[in-house]
Amino acid sequence: MKGVSNDAGRKVVGFLREWGMILLILVITAVATMIRPVFLSGRNILNILRSYSTIGIASIGMAYTIIGGGMDLSIGSTISLSAVVTMLIINATSNVAERVCSPYAAVLVLFVGIAIGAAVGLVNGAIIAVVNGRMGESFIITFAMQIVVGAMAQAVVKGQFQAAAYKSGLFKEFGVGVVPVIFFLVVAAIMQLILTRTQFGRNLYFLGANMKAAKMAGIRVGQVRTISHVLCGMCAGLAGVLVVSRVNSASVLQGQGYELDAMACVAIGGVSLAGGDGSILKTILGVLVLGFLLTALNILSVQSNAQLIVRGVVIIAAVILDTVNKKAKLREVRK
Amino acid sequence: MRVRTFIKERMVLLLFLAFIFIMILFKPSFVSLTNIKNVLIDASIYGVSALAMTIAIITGAFDLSLSSNFAWAQIFFCFMLNAWGSSGLGILGAFLAMLCTTTLIGVINGLVIVLGKIPAFIATLGMSTIVKGFCLVFTSGDMIATSNTFVERMGKGTFLGISYLTYIFAAIVVVAWYVMKNTTYGRSLYATGGNATAAALAGINVRLCQFSTFAILGLAAGISGAMFVCQMRAGSVLYGTDLALTCVAATVVGGTPLTGGKGSVLRTVLGVLLIYVLYKGLAFLGLQGYYNTMIRGLVLLVVVSFDAFMTRKGR
Repeated sequence: MKGVSNDAGRKVVGFLREWGMILLILVITAVATMIRPVFLSGRNILNILRSYSTIGIASIGMAYTIIGGGMDLSIGSTISLSAVVTMLIINATSNVAERVCSPYAAVLVLFVGIAIGAAVGLVNGAIIAVVNGRMGESFIITFAMQIVVGAMAQAVVKGQFQAAAYKSGLFKEFGVGVVPVIFFLVVAAIMQLILTRTQFGRNLYFLGANMKAAKMAGIRVGQVRTISHVLCGMCAGLAGVLVVSRVNSASVLQGQGYELDAMACVAIGGVSLAGGDGSILKTILGVLVLGFLLTALNILSVQSNAQLIVRGVVIIAAVILDTVNKKAKLREVRK
Repeated sequence: MRVRTFIKERMVLLLFLAFIFIMILFKPSFVSLTNIKNVLIDASIYGVSALAMTIAIITGAFDLSLSSNFAWAQIFFCFMLNAWGSSGLGILGAFLAMLCTTTLIGVINGLVIVLGKIPAFIATLGMSTIVKGFCLVFTSGDMIATSNTFVERMGKGTFLGISYLTYIFAAIVVVAWYVMKNTTYGRSLYATGGNATAAALAGINVRLCQFSTFAILGLAAGISGAMFVCQMRAGSVLYGTDLALTCVAATVVGGTPLTGGKGSVLRTVLGVLLIYVLYKGLAFLGLQGYYNTMIRGLVLLVVVSFDAFMTRKGR
């Protein structure tokens, strides 16, 4: 009898370990709704989904580099750069008299944004592949890239804030209603397919779990790492375009803090920051948790500076939890 | 053979020297007494933190929360000076209270990293956000100034034409050098960074060593912050955001590889001086604002990549 309950207990613990995030979202929602019932309105939920869809796209890219045993701290600046370039293009091609932006430009900026991200990712990935950097080094390399790319974004607009010169048009639609959420889901689906159905995806997991072994198994480690960084950059570039469309302005500060949020989402979702483990679905759950948590704090009128503290605590807590979990799993396997 | 190892190990340093040499060749007016003094003062302030960062890197860790900790040190020191700064004892009290808080931040870092067994850069990145958020809440984002006369005298005063701050830095260099070179503690830090498993087998308390470096980092951030306040007579979350990265760059430029277990604090003194000569030189060439920032980023990028590349080849 005792054995059965033990078994059931273990199952519950195992379930919580894997999918405890869903419970966390429910708890956050319940608490926030109790204090401010407006939290559980359809409009509020859609708002959360819409405003966190860009962070979500960036997080999915981040998840790729983290699964591969790396990290990309430059995405914040990539988003800023992509955002300011997007705004410049859209404003330059808008019909000034009618304040309508051109639909061709809207399609163009999607490609330009993604291309900018890919370029930054390529530089990141190429450097990391050439020097064969370990995690600490890829950390600093991408951190340095963040400074460089951020300064580039400033140089592009000379540090000036860019307001939208248009009032309507296809580009504006990118940020309205469920459109950003659809973008997010499409990106998630594509990235999930790449991760699970291609040789590259499997290699990425292998690489993140044990780089030396992957090398010995004949995997082109440098190539896989470069591709993961390029994909991460592409996600960030796309996120930059969508952010501009949502907030109707662009500044060099647009992407500030995105790398932290993305890292937090990935860590909360249960993707191991040590690499080799995790999935897109878990990342999405992480995004939802962070989105619900921060919005709940907003509604409870916790100021944004204090929310920075929450983010830091959440990252550290998530990583410690991951380490504890891993140890527990190892113990169970040994049994 | 020896020359070749030297060149291989100190390639970054040689490149820097070459750059500075070329710059002096083109702009001889760069070598002026005021410039040298300014470089010395700036290098002294960041140098204290750079020494601690070097010790951490030798032990095989590093600290990205140093910038935020440094900002907190300035803010809290200014705040305490405004509260207690009327008497000599009060100033000492303000200084010690500030050092306690910054060291506490380092201690928390150390505890989280050593007990939680999580990578130092993730823990310290999280900590960096926490401390930054805390600074913003504490000051509501404003700058906090102090008009304390003692602090002003410390910042402006000179002895034999050299700022007091430089003497403080020199004294700390001597202490750090002595500890790292001639004490059991220093040697166990090297051993821990070189091979933690072997060090543990040799009976060294590896976890204590790792933990202690974070406390030292916190202490150093506090001292740097106090020196910075002497210079600026103000504290803000916006000052010194580049501290952590400059310290890493200075360490690597000096010739301490990021792999750990090797290097020395004396090399970092040279590294931090060279970095500041470069920064001053770039400003002197008329590169201001974001171009200056961009080049700082590029310097770090090149230096770290190069170091990683060289140490990889050596293995």
